Amino acid sequence: MPVLTKDMVAGLVSTGASARVDADVAPSFKPGDRVTARNINPVGHTRLPRYVRGHTGIVDRDHGVFVFPDGSAVGKDKPQHLYSVAFDAVELWGPEASDDFKVYVDMWDDYLDPAK
Amino acid sequence: MASHKHTAEMSDTVLRVKALESLLAEKDLIDASALNELIDTYENRIGPRNGAQVVARAWTDSEYKKRLLEDGTGAILELGFSGVQGEDMVVIENTPTVHNMVVCTLCSCYPWPVLGLPPVWYKSAPYRSRAVIDPRGVLKEFGVELDAGVEIRVWDSTAETRYMVLPMRPAGTEGLSEDELVDLVHRDAMIGTAIVMAP
Amino acid sequence: MNGVHDMGGMQGMGAIDVDPNELSFHEDWERQMFGMFLAVFAGGHYNIDEFRHAIERMGATNYLTTSYYEHWMNGMQTVLLEKGILTEEEISARMAELGKGAS
Repeated sequence: MPVLTKDMVAGLVSTGASARVDADVAPSFKPGDRVTARNINPVGHTRLPRYVRGHTGIVDRDHGVFVFPDGSAVGKDKPQHLYSVAFDAVELWGPEASDDFKVYVDMWDDYLDPAK
Repeated sequence: MASHKHTAEMSDTVLRVKALESLLAEKDLIDASALNELIDTYENRIGPRNGAQVVARAWTDSEYKKRLLEDGTGAILELGFSGVQGEDMVVIENTPTVHNMVVCTLCSCYPWPVLGLPPVWYKSAPYRSRAVIDPRGVLKEFGVELDAGVEIRVWDSTAETRYMVLPMRPAGTEGLSEDELVDLVHRDAMIGTAIVMAP
Repeated sequence: MNGVHDMGGMQGMGAIDVDPNELSFHEDWERQMFGMFLAVFAGGHYNIDEFRHAIERMGATNYLTTSYYEHWMNGMQTVLLEKGILTEEEISARMAELGKGAS
């Protein structure tokens, strides 16, 4: 890999490196679907926060196909659909929580099951 | 050349950073002038005024606002902003009944092309931990008190999509030019921990 | 991994400390660390997921008691060591040289 030089910086900064993948991967879910976050506890890298695991939310949008970090961290590529999933506060934090907010979490297909 | 500003007891951190830089340069993995250019870019040239321009445009051009909410990346690029840590942008709109707030509970993900580098508080444990469990309390600490009927949406940036809040245009700004509107929009309003005030 | 970095919902972290006149970088070494990380990343030597996972493995106490760019330093050093780009010995040796040269 060539070393980054001063004249390359502007181009690098303005282009970046999108994690979006141009791959024909079918989504498992669509906006409006009720989904439950899997209860996974990998010792490796994941971007599924503990506070969401096992909880049920609604798919707000499908961002498209992206690099899957759990795999990418160990050289195992598995690009898949990424969704924004909305969780009610009471669902995440219990019946005593205030009911005036929702948390939207970006989640990959492999983090989700259809809600029962 | 090593800086001789410090006494003989440079901290471990400073020594280690210097050692890493020295070794990486030797192995041709980094180039000093590229480093300086990167630092200068993010310290002096990319900042929240970029995002403020996006907001002011959306407030004054309803077709632009539609494009911005449908395709944040494309609309932001129209104004010349793009790239590292903002390759896939989603813009979420505040309304009288919905207030949005952005966090990265797992680290510090933040939309650099429109807001520059994140403030220390955004990257720190208190905000990261509380934003998703007590957003109203966090907003109160920032001096923002929302009406009881307003729903708060907290966006946890767990993936590479980066979020920017489109704050509400304050009343009493109808006569202002786009440039004057840019001056009103500060960084925290685009993170969601502030409201934009009329002058 | 279930590390302390996964902070959503944790309590007891204290007040949100806002500095209204904050600079992007508080020290020179932070600047250098920022630039270095990006430059090596641009060279394709590690990806963002590897880097983040390296930070997550810093150790709970270390993570909670060090600053943001110290996290970056730890993370970058770990991935470079694990990929064999640098060795502990050469880092220690260079630190010793630079430490002596500073007086």
